[in-house]
Amino acid sequence: MKTFGHLICAGLAFALSNSSALAQDAKEPIKVGFATALSGWLAAYDEEPHKAAVMKIEEINKAGGVLGRQIEYKVLDTKTDLTLTGSVASELVDWGANMLVVPPDYDYGSPAALVAQNAGLIAISTGASDPKMGAQGVGPNVFTAHSASQISGITSAEYAYDKMGARTAYMLEDVSIEATKAACAGFIAAWEKKGGKLLGRDTFQKEDASIAAQVTRIKGLETPPDMMFLCATMPQGPAAVRQLRAANIDMPIFADTGMGGDFWLGGVPGLKDFYVPAIMSIKGDPRPEIQKFLAAYKARWGTLPVSEFSVLGYCTIEQWTAAVEKAQSTDTEAVVAVMNQFKDQPTTCGPTSYTPEMHIQVDRPLLVSKVVDGSFEAVEIFRNSFAPDFKLLFRVSQ
Amino acid sequence: MAYFIQVLIDAVALGSLYALVALAIGLVFGVMKLINFAQADYLTVGAYSLVIPTAAATPSMMFGGLPWALMIFCVVLSITVLALITERVAFRPLRNTDPTTLLISSFAVSYFLQSLIIMFHGGRPKSVSIGAALTRPIDILGLRVGGVQFLTMTVALLLLIALVLFLKRTSIGIQLRAAAEDFSMARLLGVAANRVIAIAFAISGILGGVISLLFVIQTGTLDIRMGIMPTVYAFFATVIGGIGSLPGAVLGGYIVGILSVFLQAYLPEEMRPFRDAGVFTIVILILLVRPQGLIVTSAAKERV
Repeated sequence: MKTFGHLICAGLAFALSNSSALAQDAKEPIKVGFATALSGWLAAYDEEPHKAAVMKIEEINKAGGVLGRQIEYKVLDTKTDLTLTGSVASELVDWGANMLVVPPDYDYGSPAALVAQNAGLIAISTGASDPKMGAQGVGPNVFTAHSASQISGITSAEYAYDKMGARTAYMLEDVSIEATKAACAGFIAAWEKKGGKLLGRDTFQKEDASIAAQVTRIKGLETPPDMMFLCATMPQGPAAVRQLRAANIDMPIFADTGMGGDFWLGGVPGLKDFYVPAIMSIKGDPRPEIQKFLAAYKARWGTLPVSEFSVLGYCTIEQWTAAVEKAQSTDTEAVVAVMNQFKDQPTTCGPTSYTPEMHIQVDRPLLVSKVVDGSFEAVEIFRNSFAPDFKLLFRVSQ
Repeated sequence: MAYFIQVLIDAVALGSLYALVALAIGLVFGVMKLINFAQADYLTVGAYSLVIPTAAATPSMMFGGLPWALMIFCVVLSITVLALITERVAFRPLRNTDPTTLLISSFAVSYFLQSLIIMFHGGRPKSVSIGAALTRPIDILGLRVGGVQFLTMTVALLLLIALVLFLKRTSIGIQLRAAAEDFSMARLLGVAANRVIAIAFAISGILGGVISLLFVIQTGTLDIRMGIMPTVYAFFATVIGGIGSLPGAVLGGYIVGILSVFLQAYLPEEMRPFRDAGVFTIVILILLVRPQGLIVTSAAKERV
């Protein structure tokens, strides 16, 4: 009986070692699973990063693959449904994915990221701006390719203070969305650190039919502030800007990254002195790598992307494959170890850094853009010097 | 003092908007005992009818590109037709069922219309600018009245006057009021049920179209959920005004609008995010004191 058991063990060991050797020899493809919102409201934000990621995979395969292996991918639609997001992620794990790309939103991406985390795989969200999409939240295998929401507030504060000489500010905050609240928290922290004066702050809410009361309060200030920070996103952001400008509130306004993109400017004709720290500019980005990305995107998909977030999908694949290349393995532990060491790792999106605790970008340069004649124009690349600590990132005790 | 008067103007303007929505809801409830949540989507569809249905982020104008008189006519007409179609297809066959069934049907219509918009326009919010010239503030005795606020107040006043005249002076208006008061009695006296109900829906459609235009002039933004909050507010307005009572709906609309603006203006900064909690606490208090609403119609009274 004992010998029989030994025999089985030996046989198993042989079979195992043999099969892994075979896999290496046959150059099995690397598998990337996409749990992507291709329908539902999130599709408007997930489709373009997804297309950019697919394009990067095709480029890599054309250039010979990673570790000499081709990348194979499979896409399943999460339909912007929380339950379905988890189950399609499980399906991708069963398919044998080496890593998962998950939706660009903490709420709608985390169910898929959690499945990857529990299966011992890496998950990268193309655009979550919440640090919970990382080590302290979903788990140590989870990353986001985007910057924390606070960074657009910090960048706005530092840029307005350093480059535009603003010393007094007003802040208008949409309190119905966590990401915009985080941007405002970042703005306040950086503005105070700079020594700027906050003349007042006010709140509004998603789906407020009117912000007349807020406008009246600003009009009532003794001295108009040098600048305003507006943390809001679609669709209430443009609605607020229209009402502010209609009331002749004319100081420079800085807004959250989510308000980049020309598509809403038709709603506020003649808008000027409006700034957004953006990820990139679709037309006229000064960085050659972004221009190259946009040209390739247009060649591959027939049209330029609408959203600046599209490039984050490209960088998701770019950074993961760079780590795989460096680790010489797709093994989660090895790749996570390499990614955790990224310090200003060059990617198309800009220098990318992670630490074992910080799985989100906190000081990646943003492109400060300004509205000129009905479209955003790049002003300059600006890197924030004040990096948020964990207290600010997770907005505890504030 | 100047600040107070300014806030009061803001408040009355928002109240006017809610009053119009509340009136549309109250009118349909009166004749049909239906709380029509699809009213929110009449508003949304009206706003989206300004642009060509396409998934593109910057759509070209459809009705929005027409001269203003024609634009108003087309938007209002389409929403009126939409309201009549929903009445015919989704509500008329259910008229004799439980009010709950009607309510569920109105939710179904609402989701259907939202999905339809996503299908034709995509899920991304869009921007459109109509009547930008109207948004400029007007100075009246040193007070700043936003152009849109002025417009909203004027339009609300004119529509209210027109509606009152219609309800008091025309035969169909009187039938409508009779039906709102006591539907079965009105029918026994020869009021044609289908006709009055269709008229009520047509008016709610006209109001929906006008409100959607006022909304877009103010915000310049199209979003599939844009109609929901005003409709929820308006629903509360009809309840505190006294459900089934048209003057009550208008009064309720002004009350919730004014409360919401005053709380936003006078609450300390750290309390402002909870403004709506304040509004609805006061709504609950009003209902505790007057469960039937502020203006009680004879139809709402318990009969022994």
